[in-house]
Amino acid sequence: MAEFTSSKLDADSHLLLDQPLLRLPTELLRKTLKSAQRQIEMTNKNITSATQSFNPQASPADTLASLDATLAKAQSLKRKLEALHAEEQALHRQQKARINHLQELHSIPTLADVKYDQWSRKRLDRLLVDYLLRQGYTQSAKELAREKNLEELVDIGVFEECGRVERSLIEGRTQECLAWCTDNKQALKKISSNLEVELRLQQFIELARSGDTKHRMDAIVHARKHLANGQDAQFGLRAAGLLAYGPDTLVEPYRTMYSPTRYQTLATLFLQTHHDLFALPTQPLLHIALSAGLSALKTPACHSVHALQPSTLTGAPVCPICSTELNDLARNVPYAHHTKSYMEDDPVVLPNGRVFGRERLRVLNEKLGMKGGRVRDPTEKNGVEWSESEVKKVFIS
Amino acid sequence: MDGILTAHAALEKSGNLSKAIADVQLLIQHLQKARDAVAETPELTAMHMAKLKQPVKASFDQIEEDLKEVNKGLNHYQKAVKDKFKAAQLPAAGADGGVLGKEAGLVNRAIAMHLLREGKFDVAHTFVREVNERAPAGTGDEGKESKGEERWREDFNLPSDFAMDEGDGARLPGGQLQSKFSEMYHVLNSLNNQHDLGPAIAWARVNSNELERRGSNLEFELAQLKFIELYTSCEDPYHPFAGPLQALQYARDTFPAFSSRYCKQTSNLLGSLAFSTALDQSPYTSFFHDESTYTNVAATFTREFCGMLGLSEASPLYTAVTAGGISLPILEKVERVMAQSRGQWTSVNELPVETPLPPGMQYHSIFVCPVSKEQGTDANPPMMLPCGHVIAKESLEMHARGKSRMKCPYCPNESHPREAKRVYI
Repeated sequence: MAEFTSSKLDADSHLLLDQPLLRLPTELLRKTLKSAQRQIEMTNKNITSATQSFNPQASPADTLASLDATLAKAQSLKRKLEALHAEEQALHRQQKARINHLQELHSIPTLADVKYDQWSRKRLDRLLVDYLLRQGYTQSAKELAREKNLEELVDIGVFEECGRVERSLIEGRTQECLAWCTDNKQALKKISSNLEVELRLQQFIELARSGDTKHRMDAIVHARKHLANGQDAQFGLRAAGLLAYGPDTLVEPYRTMYSPTRYQTLATLFLQTHHDLFALPTQPLLHIALSAGLSALKTPACHSVHALQPSTLTGAPVCPICSTELNDLARNVPYAHHTKSYMEDDPVVLPNGRVFGRERLRVLNEKLGMKGGRVRDPTEKNGVEWSESEVKKVFIS
Repeated sequence: MDGILTAHAALEKSGNLSKAIADVQLLIQHLQKARDAVAETPELTAMHMAKLKQPVKASFDQIEEDLKEVNKGLNHYQKAVKDKFKAAQLPAAGADGGVLGKEAGLVNRAIAMHLLREGKFDVAHTFVREVNERAPAGTGDEGKESKGEERWREDFNLPSDFAMDEGDGARLPGGQLQSKFSEMYHVLNSLNNQHDLGPAIAWARVNSNELERRGSNLEFELAQLKFIELYTSCEDPYHPFAGPLQALQYARDTFPAFSSRYCKQTSNLLGSLAFSTALDQSPYTSFFHDESTYTNVAATFTREFCGMLGLSEASPLYTAVTAGGISLPILEKVERVMAQSRGQWTSVNELPVETPLPPGMQYHSIFVCPVSKEQGTDANPPMMLPCGHVIAKESLEMHARGKSRMKCPYCPNESHPREAKRVYI
């Protein structure tokens, strides 16, 4: 066992898992800003054109009416901005709560501190909610977040929306996801995402699938409108090729394109794009933390055929990897690397080959009510009794 | 962190839409003024409208400036976050979601059990329901579920209400784990919040044999506490001995059943009876004025209760995730270094580097062969030579190859390889 050199807490490296916590609200703030920009641009265009195109010949009543309309537009802009501002403030509060949560860690000097324990528990709850949300167990996630008072630290809204769109794709609908694409048009362009074209291609496939001439004509119109707009020519080519084959074709790639599993592929693509856009990791953070933790804790003994039942009396706390919750889960992860043996002080070996620290053996035998001079292997239910002289010192370096 | 804090303060103060809203309000006022003017003096409409153009343009210019300000604030903040995290990538935990991605069933089980342990029965309930609802749909397009998936949910076939009101005797069929943990919470709740020993004593009596076999002191500790409780229960000034007498009666009924190893404690307790009127000055005062006794007994109880179920006393999920948090920085670094050469760290059966954990997180003894530096495993177990030195089996075989007697690598002792004995560490 490597010396655990110091239990000093290096907060900066410790926060590795917590990047997304700060990033997501920022991305959302950007989104709010973008919508504000769009609203303002639109209103600007409308109002400016209205004031520029003033017709001196128009009757005063008409002018008044047009002014009223302009005024209404400005007021509606104000309302929209106010709504966005409220959103923005909520996000700022969320950011603040998250910064505070991370800041707390910086004030904890060592891992042995009780406060670290509390912090780590909070982190676990956070990771659990993240996991539940990603797996679509939204109700559980909400309840847990509420009971633990974590609402500011988790992104229920974002994942709920994401899950809604994902499900609609799996159920074979593209509208929801297209609407989402429109909402995030600029951002998608920036990361040159294919998501929207893929969705348009799917619509085309549906039109082509039905087979009658009218729909096929519609399909062509659709393709001209959406699949020939300067993006990868591949989409247009594939679409055109598809028309030559019926839905029951075995010819690739058209068979795959007609296949209903394409919706699953689209859903996966959507998830990827969505997580990319919001700087979310593609895997649940719980997986990352847990697989690292399982490995760090796991020893060859945890899955050995000689492993003791976790309920066996050993005087030591039950190892979390040996405990039912994690035992099967940890079966296939690598075990921790050690370069030095780690033994209790003064190890001794019983005649049956089991090694104990001398002191622990004594305490356990006392608890088992053994009389002086006699010992038993405490891990065995009705073990043999030996004379103390049969207990041998063992040298393990 | 300070950088982020300053940037965030700036966002809250000025990097937001409030200024833009104020400027839109100004624009509205301009428009309103123009409208009022037109209404008042229709003959000057043309002039009013001409006068409006400039302020409208200025307003929109200003609003755009406001937004630029917000944008700048956001950029600043984002940069602060980036500086803070130095663009460290998250470790991938293995390709395709790693081992855990394929074991969703087992992960779910671990979570459900964790929730029960935390006493979050309602959340656990909802969670199991949601998992169950999903299960049939999941099998359709994702193929087979892992084996663990089916089994664990049976443990959670929830009873409609929890066994909260009766300590024992209220074992419900099905929902085993659920009822176990609600039993545990019931006992703990009585102990910690009401200082009521009843449920704990009842539980300990039911499980008396098992506890004794585990060498647990729980039953005696509870009896001891009960004795003290009775001793001090009666405040009636007219019967100053009522409490001690009750305690004596209890001791007579209960203590003889305990094994002789508690002899010393029982005589101490009974000895205190002689001092019943002046306990505070007696040598036994520490028995009676120890605030932490209930907490200690509660901790012992939790340990025994979980231990008998084969579960560790602290939630393994918590321990594992905390250990993960501690070792991730090291693993992240390794992954970065190994990215080109050998692939991810979950691809081999031992981690490539040491991930030191705090002492409280070391649960097993570790044997590392001093010759080969490999850890003892089932295939390559530790072997003890007659002199008491231990090396791994493979090292032993290597060392003894072609010789009938071999010298211990660590002392002058010579032995036959057959004399080496497997030890269990």
